[in-house]
Amino acid sequence: MAKTLAMFTDTSVCTGCRACQVACKQWNQLSMEKPEWTGTYQNHENFTEKTWRLVRFKEKRADDGRLKFLMMSDVCKHCAQAGCLEACPTGAIYRTEFGTVNVNQDTCNGCRNCVSSCPFGVVAFNHETGRVNKCTFCNDRIHNNMPTACAKTCPTQSIQFGEREALVGRAKKRLAELKAQGEKDANLYGVDESGPLGGLNAFFLLMDKPSNYGLPEDPKLPQRNVKTDSAFSIGSALLVGAGLMMAFRERGGNGSSGGEE
Amino acid sequence: MVRAPEWEMYIVWYFFLGGIAGGAYFAAAIADNFGGRRDREIARIGYFIAFPLALICGALLILDLGTPSRFLNMLRMFKFWNPMSIGSWGLGAFGAFAFLSAVLSLGDSEARLALRRNVAKVGRVFGFFLAAYTGVLLSTTAQPIWGDSRLMGALFLASGASTGLASIAVVSYFKGANLGESWSKLKKADSFAMVVELVLLFALVLMLGPAADPVTKGRFALPFWGGLVALGLVVPLALSFVKAGAGKERTAGGTLAIASVLVLIGGFLLRYVIIMAGQL
Repeated sequence: MAKTLAMFTDTSVCTGCRACQVACKQWNQLSMEKPEWTGTYQNHENFTEKTWRLVRFKEKRADDGRLKFLMMSDVCKHCAQAGCLEACPTGAIYRTEFGTVNVNQDTCNGCRNCVSSCPFGVVAFNHETGRVNKCTFCNDRIHNNMPTACAKTCPTQSIQFGEREALVGRAKKRLAELKAQGEKDANLYGVDESGPLGGLNAFFLLMDKPSNYGLPEDPKLPQRNVKTDSAFSIGSALLVGAGLMMAFRERGGNGSSGGEE
Repeated sequence: MVRAPEWEMYIVWYFFLGGIAGGAYFAAAIADNFGGRRDREIARIGYFIAFPLALICGALLILDLGTPSRFLNMLRMFKFWNPMSIGSWGLGAFGAFAFLSAVLSLGDSEARLALRRNVAKVGRVFGFFLAAYTGVLLSTTAQPIWGDSRLMGALFLASGASTGLASIAVVSYFKGANLGESWSKLKKADSFAMVVELVLLFALVLMLGPAADPVTKGRFALPFWGGLVALGLVVPLALSFVKAGAGKERTAGGTLAIASVLVLIGGFLLRYVIIMAGQL
């Protein structure tokens, strides 16, 4: 079994140059899209079927009154417990030997269940192919011992690529450095394997609360409730079934077995 | 932030008609197995509703994929813990049972009817399943409203029962079926299903709290409160108290048919509002 690979995106050194976004487009041959005016330097508003790396720009007024300019290169998180993978009814979404999550285009049938099940809004439906697309973790590159295109191109090493274990150590060290420098809001997102979604294989060092970057504070696996919800449904079936049986039952009973439902 | 799956009218119609098909089938199965001689007609109509609807349901799902042949990809897997995967298989199994029951309803021989009752004993499980699983499918996604509603499957099941029974009543009325006292049984069953549905609906909205706002306020407020709650549940329940004199079964049937049309409209609006409001 190959070692789990990861990307560590350290937003403290991101300059918002968007080289990662361009490199992703070029390597994966993702065609041009009409730009969207979002009111900031960010383009697009969210991931699309052709934008798999997306630099987010957020402005925030800090407590001391200064304007904070937050930049973050966002990407599919390749969750250890992936909602999209659980949701896929055809087996098109699969986990590779490197721990990454991929969509097999030939098997995808365009049902969009994964789109509704991603807590981060990553998976996107492609109207041209009738199938879904998302970051592949440069599946072709990592199978040829190359780093992902975004990590390779990042000029400030904000995006780092490598084995997960080593990157986690690096992330923790970097967080300690920043804390020592007085960056009290800095935090790691998705590092902890006992944390939300069993840890993210694309994890982040954020300079502010996750929600200020548009990330859920506590992402959860959407399928966690399937047993509860099914149990309620069965309860409802028993209740409705019993009610219908009472309504239809013949008084005096002609051969009805009674109480079966 | 989460992204909407762009599930639109094909899915709304599927959820609605699938609920009716499942509900009509299990109602028919119960009437067949627990009811008397006269209720056999109700059962027959229920099976005749369920089978064509099951076919339409399959067609709707296939159309929604855009490329019909890709439906076959669903059959690569049997993920029993995944509502959509098991739903595809469940719809297929339901269709088979609905077909069998409809075929067995074509004749009158006692042996045939005995076999039909036994088939329905197994088939009704798939009827309940078809009515409820679409709710669980929604409630196990990351979308707002859908993913927070623990009672969605339970609610859809109750709505499947009320709309299934309503469809039987409407078809019976327009067919001029001679149901006699079975009208009052149908009415009783449908009223029970509607009360359960109403209770579950309020429990679901209360449990959601402010998260229910897209359903209960704004552009969906009118179809939700006016269409589903008032016209689709409260008015039909009120109509169920209208008493017809002795020997006026036909009038009683007419009142029930009107109430049933309202129930069907309400059942459609339930699916429409929930599917659309979850994707705002």
